[in-house]
Amino acid sequence: MDDHQTTILAQNIQALLVEALRITQAQVTPDLAFGDLPQWDSMGHMEVMMLLEQRYNVEINADTIATLTSVAAISAYLQERDHA
Amino acid sequence: MPEFTYEFTTSEVVPEFLVGEVQSKLAYVDEDINKATVSPAGDRITLHLRQSPDKLRLAELEEKTQRVVLSMVKGAYKPKVQVLEDHLDRPIPYNLDPHIELAARGEISQETQGVFALGPLVSRLINYFERRFLELADSFEAAPYRFPTLIPARYLERVKYFQAFPHSLTFATHLREDLDAIDHFAQNAACQHDGALTVPLDTFSPIQTLLSPAVCYHLYFALADQSLPQGKVVATAVGNCFRYESINLSSLERLWNFTMREVIFIGEKEFVLENREIARQRMSGVFEEIGLAYRVESANDPFFIGEFRKQAAFQSAFQLKFEIRARLPFKDSTLAVGSYNYHQDFFGRHLNMTLPDGSPAHTGCVAFGLERMAYAFLAQYGFDPRDWPAAFKEVGL
Repeated sequence: MDDHQTTILAQNIQALLVEALRITQAQVTPDLAFGDLPQWDSMGHMEVMMLLEQRYNVEINADTIATLTSVAAISAYLQERDHA
Repeated sequence: MPEFTYEFTTSEVVPEFLVGEVQSKLAYVDEDINKATVSPAGDRITLHLRQSPDKLRLAELEEKTQRVVLSMVKGAYKPKVQVLEDHLDRPIPYNLDPHIELAARGEISQETQGVFALGPLVSRLINYFERRFLELADSFEAAPYRFPTLIPARYLERVKYFQAFPHSLTFATHLREDLDAIDHFAQNAACQHDGALTVPLDTFSPIQTLLSPAVCYHLYFALADQSLPQGKVVATAVGNCFRYESINLSSLERLWNFTMREVIFIGEKEFVLENREIARQRMSGVFEEIGLAYRVESANDPFFIGEFRKQAAFQSAFQLKFEIRARLPFKDSTLAVGSYNYHQDFFGRHLNMTLPDGSPAHTGCVAFGLERMAYAFLAQYGFDPRDWPAAFKEVGL
């Protein structure tokens, strides 16, 4: 993935978190993780998972739900999926 | 009483892992539903109705039922089932429904749906199990607590209980401080044929309290808005719990008013998870001693329809809840008699309960349903003490 694609992916993840968690863009930092914001609680996390499924047309299983708990983890998951 | 059935095709096929959950929620669709069943294939639902409906009413019932199905099934996550222990094949000598024998012996007396008075045999068994659970609590040097049966509505609001479990709430109120209203009640109060008290609703005070649905909540509220000076707490308490389950209420298996013994851990994540696991291992030894046939497997709480899909998936994904499911040989099924729970920092964050470093405390609890323990034991070992494991010699029957 080149720099341009990485930037696009980061922007997409930011937009996804803003929409799912109903937070501002400024709140989405690269090291943001589950539990860092009141909005990213159990219900918020599942909103993120469902929006991820919708946007990227993927089926996320229980094992994956438990691992996608940070911006970095979501980014790595999507990059890996693109390479698959 | 005559019963009318109505069968229709589901808008979404209910997957096998959700059939039981959906079926239990259909109880709350309408007061006219006496029983609801989802076909094993998940494609048909049969409603058993208390009265004959017209076409309009049938359409209404079907629409409400389909709403439940859609909400719970569409996009549902298949739970990750993890079995930590499996002793379901432990040899047991009995295979009849103990409810029948308990009723015949006058050991249980139903006061109303889901509410039973218990006789000496069940009480002695419960006392025995209580002693074993207290031994577990003592092994952690758990501090004893006593909590009230009532719980303020504002407490439950703070931990979003109303959104998660609205269907199972039991409300407590009293007559308004109004001499005329109290006099009128005293002179006119009477129960209808179905047991409902005929009182105008405006006679009651606004609801500020409920009957408590869980034991550990009281401890979390007692420690809310403060830092835990030692950074950790281990406590134990037994209490009356109330969860209304409508037509799902059944014998001692599913009571509206039941008793729960809990051992509660509060502290850092590792402290809570480590102690939950130690508790499971210690109880494994106890269950072996008392010969219980059971399995410990991952589970989820019975969240209401709106939150079910997301909350249940989250609990499953993070392995937050494990149930102790005792075998009920008479129906080739299992019954949850206890659970090992981890709440992450949910209560710490919502109740501002913090560790010395300012971070939210993590919580977990080990909980045992006392009536269910006694019921499951009788379902496995019957009523002749000579058939009981040696550990029960001290029960004194």
